[in-house]
This record gives sequence, structure tokens and C-alpha cells, in this order.
Amino acid sequence: MKKVNIVLALVLAGLVSLSAQAVEQRAWHKEVIGKDCKVCHDNGIKQFPSDQACLQCHDVDDLAAQTARSEEDKWQNPHNNLHYGKDLPCQECHGEHKSKKPLCSNCHTFKFDKHKE
Amino acid sequence: MSNVDLLGRRNFIKGMGAAAGVAMAAPAMAVSEKADGVKWDKEVEVLIIGSGFAGLAAAIEATRKGAKDVHIFEKMAYFGGNSAINGGLFAAPGTPMQKKEGVEDSVDRMVADQLKSGRGIADEALLRHVASHAVEALQMTIDAGAEFHPYLQQLGGHSVARTYQTTVSCGAGITQPLYKECKKLGVHTHNRSKFEGFLVGDKGEVLGVKMRENYHFGEDQPGKVLKIRAKRGVIMATGGFAQNVDLRMAQDPTLTSEVGCTNAPGATGEGMYEMFRLGAIPVHLAHIQSGPWASPDEGGFGYVSNYSIYNFPHSMAINRLTGKRFMNEIADRKTRADAELACRDEQGNPLPPILITSYKDSKKHPNTKKVIKYNVGWKFDTIEELAKHFEVPLKPLKAQIEEYNGYVKSGEDKQFGKNMTKAKDKYIEAPFTVVRLWPKVHYCQGGVQVNTKAEVKDSFTGQPIKGLYAAGEVCGGIHGVSRLGSCSIPECMVMGMTAARSVMKA
Repeated sequence: MKKVNIVLALVLAGLVSLSAQAVEQRAWHKEVIGKDCKVCHDNGIKQFPSDQACLQCHDVDDLAAQTARSEEDKWQNPHNNLHYGKDLPCQECHGEHKSKKPLCSNCHTFKFDKHKE
Repeated sequence: MSNVDLLGRRNFIKGMGAAAGVAMAAPAMAVSEKADGVKWDKEVEVLIIGSGFAGLAAAIEATRKGAKDVHIFEKMAYFGGNSAINGGLFAAPGTPMQKKEGVEDSVDRMVADQLKSGRGIADEALLRHVASHAVEALQMTIDAGAEFHPYLQQLGGHSVARTYQTTVSCGAGITQPLYKECKKLGVHTHNRSKFEGFLVGDKGEVLGVKMRENYHFGEDQPGKVLKIRAKRGVIMATGGFAQNVDLRMAQDPTLTSEVGCTNAPGATGEGMYEMFRLGAIPVHLAHIQSGPWASPDEGGFGYVSNYSIYNFPHSMAINRLTGKRFMNEIADRKTRADAELACRDEQGNPLPPILITSYKDSKKHPNTKKVIKYNVGWKFDTIEELAKHFEVPLKPLKAQIEEYNGYVKSGEDKQFGKNMTKAKDKYIEAPFTVVRLWPKVHYCQGGVQVNTKAEVKDSFTGQPIKGLYAAGEVCGGIHGVSRLGSCSIPECMVMGMTAARSVMKA
């Protein structure tokens, strides 16, 4: 529980600093997006971006091709998976300002080495 | 604001018995209101809440019956609900595959099996209604593109083999085709839409709902609340509450976070409790079923569940303390789950029992490879190796295998009376595959009372609440004490279709 509290405190600290300036951002996004929050926050700064926001730049089919697995494990492709096909919104597994585990890890032990929490 | 404890499933794996409740951002309390003078933000013809089997079947059937403007609202980011992650097992009596395999079955026989497992308190009229329309519902899934294994399975508590399973061994093999069919038919689907209460007319009839847009599960929810009028009616297909540890412990205090859960995170029960506030009759809430085929080595339903469901008929379940069998491996779910929970070490801590199968027989199931590959099951070349790995006393284990193989030969299990038909010629021999077993909360038999028209009954008048229909796991009383495996999908599908037919006649 303690660990959870620490994580929670860190997240809250992150939220507070949002109003200031230093909000955590993925390095590769900094180069492209810079500090223009509105690029992603299409529902307003205080709301989560819409499910379409990431798709301005990313293409689901391309992502699915990049993360394709062997025939035997083909349905473990996070961008085209057994349970939700290509319809799983990005924010279920990826967070820009906080770390997230892949949704699959709720039930499965397989690993996605390139996934950044 | 109140806090809802949602079970952290990964925590269960890390440390069994450790407190696993994680406080999540609590949703604002859902409250129903009078619709007097309300300004509707939107009007739809048929309003469905929940996008699992029941919701999707209802949407398709409503459209086929002539509805032009059908809307499905889903709380989560993705569609399919709990239906998208279960075993994809579908029981029906009198199917083409039964005819091909020479299995004698009937609606009466399926209902009789279910009544037995329901231990006297199941709803025969509803069971009969579902069994009578199960083949029709199976056809709907096939028409939409669902594919099934070319063999039947006989699950625990069923007197004959009557269970189809999708080729992907998962409910997604049905929800994905049904969802695509919905899109094709022009059904409007809305994700991240959280039900926040009913809007009721002067006579207590349901006129519409409050629906929060842009809802992010487990987060603060800044989205706007819309008041949506449902011209023909509201179909509640919101599922069970197995993921809500507080609610399930209120009904059955033994279902602590020590017992994991197979359900999708969204199975938290608000839709059901809001119907109770409106006057719906609560039935059998304390009857919550745990799946005896689950594994403590992975979260949720995972890979092991289907592996064991397939393998139980020709496997031995062993208590690691004694090296002996402790249950009929194909008894109904409650019998087995209770027997497993009783497997503990000398200090009373959980000692998950093991399921031993001959590799030659287990490998016929597509999951076996994955179970081994992803370290949630193991393969052993000798019994000594197996016994050492799980610290099982070797001598009694060897004696038990010999004894059990005698039952395979004679066809009669003198220990637990297991039906040995499917174990014929399948001796327990090396090499072995082994998984660990521990029950996980799987299904809530309880919920709101409905009639065979899927109308929700009012607790004071005994009459249906006008404008309100419910289908699937959110309904209660149908199965009684214990639901038989593979009987939920036909129920969800048939009652979803039934609700749609009733809505279109209303």
C-alpha cells in the first residue's frame, strides 16, 4: 500500500506542476510537438485527449504492422489483438504524462519489450 | 463521493492473501431523477447500455425488427465488456454438431441439468425460454461470422456434450463479429459513456437516462452529462459486479481479494444497483460463482482457464499436501471451487492444488503450447521431477496415479464418482503437463428480476417497470446457486434478443 501511496503522490505532484510548466513528456514527442498542449488536448487542456488525438500522427495499420507477431502468436499484437482488434484506444496502454502497463498484463504474462511504461 | 475498491489483479499474483484493494477515483453517485420539465440533449429510438453479448445481440435484433436509430453506450474505452475476455463457450440443445456426433439432447435435458446445479432455486421458466431459443442465438453468432471448433465439449455438470467453443477459445470470437455486424447495420456505438441514472416519468416509467460523455474509467471524469430520451425503451446489459470487491463482500464475505477475478475491470455493478433504487427486485445476490479452472500464476481468465476446462475430464486434480485427489474433476463449479479453497498448508495458507494431465492428451488443446511458453504451466518427463517441483509426497502420488488409471480402465471412479466417458483410454502417463488451480470470482448469479420478456419487475407492484428491460449477467435468479459453464453466453444472447423484441413491440 505504501508503494501505491508514493506513486499516487508522484502522480499528484505531476498534476500540480501541470499548471506550472514542467509536465512529463515523452522525449520523442518533445521534438515533434514541443510545448503546444493543444496538439493532443483536443477536448480542452483539463480533459483527456480524445481517442482520435493520437491518430493525427499515428496510423493504426502501420502500428499493427510494426508490432506484428509470429503466426502462432498473431493475436498478441497489441495494435490488432484478439479481444478488441484495432479498436483499442491508445490511452489504454500509453500515457504521455504518466506510466501505464499494457492492458494485456491484466490477464497475460507475455511481454512487450518495446513498450515504455 | 464514495470510494469503490477495485481489485488489483496483478497484486494477487505477486502475493496471495496480501491486501489488494486499490482505491480508484470514485465515480459520482448515479441518481435517478424525475424527468419533469427536463431539457433533453438528445433523443434516440432504442437505448442500450453495455456492449457485451447481451447488448450487441439486442442491438442487432432491434435493427432486424425495424428499429432505425439504435444506440449502444459503453462505459469503458473499448467495446465487448466482459464478453470479450471469457472462454467463448456456448451450450445449446439439439444442435447440428450434436446430431453429427450422435448426442441425444433436448431442451428438457439441458434445463434439468441446470436445475440440478441451481440446487432448487433456479428460475425454470427463464431457463426453458433460453434453452428453447439457444440454437437461434447460436445461429445469430454464426451469421455474423463467428467460427467454432469442430468438436463438442462436455463441461462440468452437463449430462451430455452440448458445448460449442469459438476457434479462438474466447468470447471475442463472438463479440468481434457481433460488433462488426452492429457497425454494418448502422447501430450507433458510443464508448467512454458512463450511465449516471434514469430519468423517470410521472408513473415511474423510464423515459431516458443521464449519460456522462468522455468518461475515463478509474480517472477523474470531467466529461459533460447528457440527458438522453429513449423513445422505445432502455435495455440494461451492464453485466455483473464481480470486480467490485466491496459489493461482492457485502453479499459473500468469503470473496475477499484473496480470491482473484476473471472479469473485465468494468464489471462493477452500478447499473444493477441503480435499477434497485428504481424499484427492481434483487434476487440471489449472494450467489457469486468462482471458476475452479483458473490459475494463480496469471491474472484474470488468462490462458490456463480454457486449458483446464478442456483437460479436466481426462486429468487428475491433486492436493499437494497429501498427494491425493480431492474432488471430482468435472463436478459443477461450486463443488470444485469449494474443494480447491480447502486446499491449504498446515498454517492455513492457500496451497493451490495441481492439475496433472498426460501431455499426449493435453496437447490437443491449442492453449497447451502457450501455457508452457508463458510459464503458467509446466511439462515434466518423470513423476519424480513433477513431485519435487511442487513438493508433493511422491509415494502417495504414485499410488494415486495407479489407482486412478484403474478407474480409467474400468470406467468407474470409486473415489469421487466422476463420469469417465471422456477419460476413456486416456491414462495418466509421462510426460505430464501441470497447471496450478485456484478459484477466481467469475460470475454473479444475482441481479434484477426479469420475466421471459426481459421486462424488469417492480418490487412493490409486481408489474414490469415501463420502458425498462434487462438482459445478461445483470439479471438474477435464472441459474440459482451455481451456473453451469457455457450457459451464460446463450442466456445473454437470447435475453438480449428477447429484450429487443419486447422493446420493438412496446
